[in-house]
Amino acid sequence: MLDGGARDARRTERFLDGIMEAEERGAAAAPADLDLDPGVLLAAHELRADLVRVHPSFRFEEGLASRLAQTGGRMQRTRDDLEPALGAASIAPFRVRRAAAAEQDSDVPHPQAAPGSGVAPALRRLPLSGRPSRPFVFGGVGVASAAISIGAVYVAWRWSRASQTPMVRAVRAARSGRGGHVSGQGRRAGGLHGIFGVMP
Amino acid sequence: MSRPVFGSSEESARPARLDRDRGLVEAARRNPADFDALYRKYLAQVYSYAFYELRDHHAAEDATERIFMQALTGLPRFEERADAFVSAGDPGAEPPADASTFRVWLFRIARNVVANERRRDRRRPVSPLEHASGLAAADDIFESAAAREAGSAAWRAVARLPEDRRRAVILRFVDEMSTAEIAEVLGRSEGAVRVLLHRALRSVATDLRGRFR
Repeated sequence: MLDGGARDARRTERFLDGIMEAEERGAAAAPADLDLDPGVLLAAHELRADLVRVHPSFRFEEGLASRLAQTGGRMQRTRDDLEPALGAASIAPFRVRRAAAAEQDSDVPHPQAAPGSGVAPALRRLPLSGRPSRPFVFGGVGVASAAISIGAVYVAWRWSRASQTPMVRAVRAARSGRGGHVSGQGRRAGGLHGIFGVMP
Repeated sequence: MSRPVFGSSEESARPARLDRDRGLVEAARRNPADFDALYRKYLAQVYSYAFYELRDHHAAEDATERIFMQALTGLPRFEERADAFVSAGDPGAEPPADASTFRVWLFRIARNVVANERRRDRRRPVSPLEHASGLAAADDIFESAAAREAGSAAWRAVARLPEDRRRAVILRFVDEMSTAEIAEVLGRSEGAVRVLLHRALRSVATDLRGRFR
């Protein structure tokens, strides 16, 4: 069930369709809906008369047409270049150049020729200088992990190593005395021990 | 004129009408140089939409260029959907004979480009159309005619409408779109578009009545 607003909106739509169809047919008068608000009828006729379709200048039209043609030509050329390349594409196995050369030089049969045999035994028989180099991959995570490990080892080593200077020993003694001794006298004693080189 | 075809999937087992621009769109897809036919066909509609929205012919030309460039480069991604015009409440209905999903797609691009342009204009205001019309080249009769038309009382009333109502009015009266097409362009339901148009006409009527009184 339509409410009043939706019913009026449908009626307006039918009226607008009627105006446009009448114009297409070349009819002199458009069908009028007497129940429709006269203000809406007037506005529709005014807008239909005033809101005409406008055309850009000839210069602009031709200029844009040539720019579109250029862009279209570029797209076509790109497609023409890509299509043969994509059509001829195939997946090639990754092969190390020197390994491939060694395979060709040696009398080891190709893996595909003799099932069960592989490239690895052939490579093992090669001298070290003739073996293919393995790819060395630098990874951010690996480098970071190594740096953290080295840092941790250094801190542990530095922490376990007794310092030679009296001042460092005093500071360390004072710090360790803070947790262990509750009273201020204990802390002071720890500090003094550190200064005089007495390890707790 | 649309023509009925049969699809291969179960969903499209019933004849579906395809839009009237199908041949032109397919030709342009095969060879982008053939886009020219679509460009010539819709240039005035797109330019008019941009002109009435932006109220400046230079801005409208810039927007028109961007719209057609985007359409040309995006054409491989365009999908024809003839069922876009069938009301959700009536799935058995046929789309209108003159439906064009390409036109709707093109106007969606236009809506986005023009909206971006208007947003930029709000940040960097320029002279209104009435002032700009005096600067039009004397030999360009289209510009001066457009400026005169756009400067009419009815147009001034439309220019005062809220954004969504104004867009609906321009698409309906200038580009002669059906309610279903406008709904697709604006991303609204058909019912919402009907109400938008009805309210827009009532607002314009009130405005015109006050002017003529």
